[in-house]
Amino acid sequence: MVDIATILAGFSDAFTLEILLLVIFGVAVGQLVGAIPGIGPIMTMAIAIPFTFAMNPLTAIAFLVGVNKGGLVGGAIPAVLINTPGTPDAAATALDGYPLARQGKALKATKMALFSSITGDTFSDLVLITVSAPLAVLALRMGPVEVMALMIFAFAVLSGLMGDSLVKGMIAALLGLLMAAVGTDPEASTPRLIFGMWDLYDGLPLTAVAIGALAISEVIRRLAESSGSVDPAIQIASSGDPADDRVSWAEYWACRIVLLRGAVIGTVLGALPGIGTTAASFMSYAFTKASDKDPGSYGRGNIKGIAATESANSAVMGANMIPLLTLGIPGNVGAALIISAFMIHGMQPGPLLFESQGRLVYGLFGAMIMANFINLWIGQAGLRLWVRAISAPESVIYSAAILLCFVGVNMADGGLFSVVFMVIFAVLGYLMQSYGFPLVIFIISFFLGPRFELSIAQSLALTNGDLTQIYRYPVAVALLVMAAATTVWLMRKNAQSRARSEAVENKAAQEG
Amino acid sequence: MRRFSKLAAMAMAVLIGAPASAEEWAPKGSLTLEIGFAAGGTTDVIGRVLAKVMEEQTGWNIVAENRTGGGGIAMLTGIAKRPPRGDVIGMGVNMPVLAKLATDPDTMAFALDDLDYLGTVASTPIVIVARKDAPFDDMRSMIDYSIENGPISIGFIALGQRLVMEKVARETGAKFNLVAGEGSSETMKLILGGQVQAGFSSGEHFPFEDAGDMKEIATTAPERVSWAPDAPTFIESGIDIFFDPVFFIATTKGTDPAAVAALSQALDAAVATDEVAEAVRNAIRNDPKNLGSEGARQMMLDGLENFIALNN
Repeated sequence: MVDIATILAGFSDAFTLEILLLVIFGVAVGQLVGAIPGIGPIMTMAIAIPFTFAMNPLTAIAFLVGVNKGGLVGGAIPAVLINTPGTPDAAATALDGYPLARQGKALKATKMALFSSITGDTFSDLVLITVSAPLAVLALRMGPVEVMALMIFAFAVLSGLMGDSLVKGMIAALLGLLMAAVGTDPEASTPRLIFGMWDLYDGLPLTAVAIGALAISEVIRRLAESSGSVDPAIQIASSGDPADDRVSWAEYWACRIVLLRGAVIGTVLGALPGIGTTAASFMSYAFTKASDKDPGSYGRGNIKGIAATESANSAVMGANMIPLLTLGIPGNVGAALIISAFMIHGMQPGPLLFESQGRLVYGLFGAMIMANFINLWIGQAGLRLWVRAISAPESVIYSAAILLCFVGVNMADGGLFSVVFMVIFAVLGYLMQSYGFPLVIFIISFFLGPRFELSIAQSLALTNGDLTQIYRYPVAVALLVMAAATTVWLMRKNAQSRARSEAVENKAAQEG
Repeated sequence: MRRFSKLAAMAMAVLIGAPASAEEWAPKGSLTLEIGFAAGGTTDVIGRVLAKVMEEQTGWNIVAENRTGGGGIAMLTGIAKRPPRGDVIGMGVNMPVLAKLATDPDTMAFALDDLDYLGTVASTPIVIVARKDAPFDDMRSMIDYSIENGPISIGFIALGQRLVMEKVARETGAKFNLVAGEGSSETMKLILGGQVQAGFSSGEHFPFEDAGDMKEIATTAPERVSWAPDAPTFIESGIDIFFDPVFFIATTKGTDPAAVAALSQALDAAVATDEVAEAVRNAIRNDPKNLGSEGARQMMLDGLENFIALNN
């Protein structure tokens, strides 16, 4: 156990002017690049790592943590303001954020995203600081069979987002899984579905697919709808009501259950390496929608939708540090980059890290808490700028967005090859949207596909090819039962809401 | 400082009698070092330090990028297929490439001859590790245990590792359930969580060994490894198998010989620095070793024959 003197020494290392300034710089850079589709915090961290060689370990890691945390906040901005999310989890934020922005509540929506993000992040940081060791032990018990069951449970929850047509939803999900199968198989490294294109050996470029299908397809839709007049990208039909520009305490407090649930989902999934933010934000969103009295209001500008996704995806980040610091196992690429920074400075994260580098670890915790406050502060100031920038003419905003997407994907995913795929998936995404196939379902299953496949392969190997052995894994069985129960519950709920909306339509038809 | 190291590099080139043209060559624009593995792994850490040191020594602008896929195969395919401009070099590990070339040459888009080799950085011995409380201590007892008690689950991340265990099973009658992982850190997680009994590590287990949670069972290297003197080799265990993974650096075949000479000189100078040595020791507890351009090529050719024999 780390003694209190080490903890205090660590915190006092963190609260210095040098670290404060670098964290401010990191957060500002993170928020800026997070808001630019395609570049994002991960790539910024990768670029920044060589610059941290010369810094002392705590300064370097504090800076990288600042970039990472700033990026989480920044990612929601374009999603809410112009409906061009750069990542799948921001797509969940756009579902309700963008409708709010169109109603002239752009500042309210982005502020809610900021507050939710920081709430989730702080929650998972506190979990990390206080109970990371026992949580890490629990996470270790989640083996491949349990992860496979968890993925099935995730898919069951996500079926709540299928929309009106079950068939179209299934088609979108299967298409996502098919696209995820492109590349090499996880066991024998045999190439599949690459059609001689060796650049696909590692699968379709993730960023390119996400940005193409989510962001560029939205720009295409806007182009198709444009009438030639010069409009601002967002009609700020400001009601002049200052309430639309801020989030009141009552509004925030009304979301407390949603925020807490999102933070818990994010923390739990974040503590399990390799599952990622996408599942967390969508599961939180789907739960919130399904358990609300008025699920029909989601997707039309319900502030709880933003609270659900942003608290969940930000909570993943802090929790990802749990396996990293306690076991030395990175939960995602961002955490892997932080491991690189540790190793470059000659430290090997692992079970002995708290003992051998306790002071540094608590310094890092201090920097994380500091970064959360700074995130809030810079975010508050930055949002006004972003909202103002977005009131420029549509033609300027969207051409800038396209340009940034092209540049970002070109940099992030390795060259023009990825840009071509971005354009292909933009067209596919536009067509799917136009014909009523749920695009988010496609993207989620594309992102979850590889881990799902690997967990099935691992489970088969562990059970000697006999999946009926699953009864020996009680946690997995419980998750599968929950998956079945969720599916039944959601189908009932869907049927009810459909019946209700039909009744409303019939009534309207009769009255009309 | 930079000017000084440039001068030093020049002086060294004169001393070792390198062709003058190599000194004149410099990449047009930036030089990209493609790392065939994901960020955070040992290859990545070593590659990034190497890129930084080379940049300081040569004054070239060097960008390190991760290009994952098939354990470096995607990266090398890209390099083999590019126009030979000397502006992209790749760092990979021989084993995954050789395993694939030995088992499945038809699905590969390049052969060993499609690359110009610049040199090696270090060899990175692989060991099989298990939890401290596993009911076996070495390769032999692990095999016996699986014959008596049914299959042992083994975590692996690369095709070569799979081939080795399949060969062991064929030769000894041992039974293994081979569980694929996305990276060595996942294998470590599976071992710690008790989902697999043993798994392959190229150094990722050090912190767990230090903490007393893991032990080394065997090494695939031809000789015992300095940091695991108690782990017998496969050969000592009566199984005639070995392989020695090596970090190597290559570029496109047909690159201007002056460029190849300049690049391999720059690599050699960087590998000789204390900074790279320290990074290599931190990551894999081994000393750096550059076999040179021709040595690297021979190492690849020999390794391929070894793997073809392994697959039969």
